[in-house]
Amino acid sequence: MTTATFQWLTLVTLTALTFSVAETGLSGSSILIPVLLATLLKGRLVIDRFMALQGVSGPWRWVVLGWLLLVLGLIAYTFLYS
Amino acid sequence: MKYESQAVAKPYFIAAIGLFLGQILFGLIMGLQYVVGDFLFPAIPFNVARMVHTNLLIVWLLFGFMGAAYYLIPEESERDLFSPKLALAMFWIFLVAGAATILGYLFVPYATLAEMTGNDLLATMGREFLEQPLPTKVGIVIVALAMLFNLSMTVLKGRKTAINLVMLVGLWGLAIFFLFSFYNPGNLVKDKFYWWWVVHLWVEGVWELIMGAMLAFVLIKVTGVDREVIEKWLYVIIAMALITGLIGTGHHYYWIGTPEYWQWWGSVFSALEPIPFFMMTVFAFNMVNRRKREHPNKAAVLWALGTGVMAFLGAGVWGFLHTLAPVNYYTHGTQITAAHGHMAFYGAYVMVVITMISYTMPLMRGREANSPVAQVVEMWSFWLMTIAMVFITLFLTAAGILQVWLQRVSTEPMPFMAAQDQVALFYWMREVAGLIFLVGLLLYIVSFFIKGKAATAT
Amino acid sequence: MWFFILAELLVFGVFFLAYAFARMRNVELFNASQLELDRISGAINTILLISGSYFVVRAVDQIRHDRSRACAHWLIAAMACGGTFLILKLVEFGAKFEAGINMSTNTFFMFYLGLGFFHFMHVILGMVILGAVALKAWKGGYSASNYGGVETGAAYWHMVDLVWIVLFPLIYILN
Ligand code: HEM
Ligand code: HEM
Ligand SMILES: [Fe+2]
Repeated sequence: MTTATFQWLTLVTLTALTFSVAETGLSGSSILIPVLLATLLKGRLVIDRFMALQGVSGPWRWVVLGWLLLVLGLIAYTFLYS
Repeated sequence: MKYESQAVAKPYFIAAIGLFLGQILFGLIMGLQYVVGDFLFPAIPFNVARMVHTNLLIVWLLFGFMGAAYYLIPEESERDLFSPKLALAMFWIFLVAGAATILGYLFVPYATLAEMTGNDLLATMGREFLEQPLPTKVGIVIVALAMLFNLSMTVLKGRKTAINLVMLVGLWGLAIFFLFSFYNPGNLVKDKFYWWWVVHLWVEGVWELIMGAMLAFVLIKVTGVDREVIEKWLYVIIAMALITGLIGTGHHYYWIGTPEYWQWWGSVFSALEPIPFFMMTVFAFNMVNRRKREHPNKAAVLWALGTGVMAFLGAGVWGFLHTLAPVNYYTHGTQITAAHGHMAFYGAYVMVVITMISYTMPLMRGREANSPVAQVVEMWSFWLMTIAMVFITLFLTAAGILQVWLQRVSTEPMPFMAAQDQVALFYWMREVAGLIFLVGLLLYIVSFFIKGKAATAT
Repeated sequence: MWFFILAELLVFGVFFLAYAFARMRNVELFNASQLELDRISGAINTILLISGSYFVVRAVDQIRHDRSRACAHWLIAAMACGGTFLILKLVEFGAKFEAGINMSTNTFFMFYLGLGFFHFMHVILGMVILGAVALKAWKGGYSASNYGGVETGAAYWHMVDLVWIVLFPLIYILN
């Protein structure tokens, strides 16, 4: 099995997990953190592996990862304090 | 100048500068009417002066774009213009139609003018910037189509570059969006909705393509930087301009009866509109810093750099200032809008046209650049006009902030006219800055008549 | 192209945050409206886009080994994922319109439909880009030493995927 296939399976599993967490009907911060962490992991996989930005010199990788972190971080903030 | 036929640009540029002068004179008349209400009444009422001021602006910028296109497209396509005769004929038609329209505004009451020119058949008049009588509007379409035919044939048969393609697409867009000026639904909300398709999609859409192409053209010429580099910049800039500018139209749909979601869409997209303008500034400076030659036409380089900076300030910064819905809620239609309108139009479109004129006129008059004396005068005119415009903008912004405060924020809001009285001092200062602008413009015109030994490449 | 991708990410990012902050002021409405969404359709769509991205990775891998045809095949598979995504999305939107829901219903649905539509357009654009790359690859326009075009097209597609990866939990799941 190639690494890409393994990464793809990881992404599918994380999606399934996210989905089933929602199906349990739980809500609030108990699902917020796991779901956002799963999203962060998925985003990182896509950025570093699929887009192959890991190991690329220059600012691109950090800009895109920074985007992901910033967006998810602020989402977490608004959900925690509302 | 590489091709004989490029010289048709010359009458276009001369007409443009002449009408520019007219625009400024009417601006000054209005500026005075702001503080001396009955100045020139009843000969030239404010509403007529306003119409003349804004229409002259649009018409002379169009002259400038057309002249620029007739110069730039043959050179980029590496062949003569398809039909110089057609281009010259269109010049005269446009000039006569434009002059007749302005005289009509000045000497015939607007309602009579509307009646005389068939506004009953197809009502299109009476809307800001689109006040032209039906025959004039039709004339604009004919002139534009003839030009597009002429230019498209030239490009089709010649070399295709990023610059002439972007220029051509921009001009086609200009003509197509103008067609919405013929659509005037009775429903006021719809009327305004489509009115912006002309006004906004011009200045924050297709005109940006025209501007980008003109700037890129001049920058290639005066800096000698590789075409590939400049074209890459051009593509990114216009892509950004279109992504943000098209949906950015929503920033005019906040309070006119359109659905509420426009407050989100307009705010988000238009908030990003300054990006392409910022990139244009970086682009201009970057290219000049990487220049491979010292072009003797220093004035043209100055105008090119000035365009970048002032377009970013006027459109980017002053546009952003009032583009978010919660801010626009207070500033909508105040002097803040006028401040932004002045600096954006000047910084982006006036300056880019002058950049083009400044670079091409000496070439069309048989020299690479004007004499150093003439250039010094031209640079003086640059600084006078630009600084005067900065002050006009600052005074109007100050007036606008005060106006918003007194008339809209305060717990006991003042009526409109009472608030206007409170800010009269700023209007006086605007008028003084306007006079300095006029001096700058006159110097600019003088610079064309200064002889002296031609500058040569260093 | 990277500049373009960043600009797109910026637009989406601003919209995501606009959603998040708008929700802060109106939590009940957002939570109630969210229950009406078709979470299954959203999840399947996520899988589709992830798989599309994976196929694109495989396509890039093939061209590195100078296998133009195989590269084109994987790209077409990715486009099929995108196409299915579009169909599901249309069904989903159709059901909402049927139920009388539109952009003016409330702020939540404004974001759901607006962001969904905006992303929808990006999927279409991404498919057009992939299609162009696939066509050129099929004709042998790329090789193991010259496949920058494939990588660029791939990067755009991954961006469309990345955006959805954030969009899905944000709008369909989190409450
Ligand atoms: C060169 C480009 C631009 C030009 C020539 C220009 C010109 C103008 C003019 C003349 C108006 C007044 C229209 C009227 O009569 O109501 C206006 C309005 C406006 N402009 Fe621009 N503009 C430019 C770019 C921008 C940009 C980039 C932004 C946003 C970032 C922007 C934001 C606005 C907004 C929000 C209004 C409406 C103001 C109100 O509500 O009264 N403009 N613009
Ligand atoms: C001597 C300098 C100028 C003076 C004193 C002046 C004065 C004025 C005045 C009084 C108005 C009417 C505002 C109103 O309706 O309340 C106006 C509108 C306008 N002027 Fe000027 N102007 C000058 C130069 C310019 C220049 C150089 C440009 C373009 C580059 C320009 C573009 C416009 C535009 C676009 C409008 C419509 C703006 C709006 O509705 O917000 N003006 N001007
Ligand atoms: Fe606008």
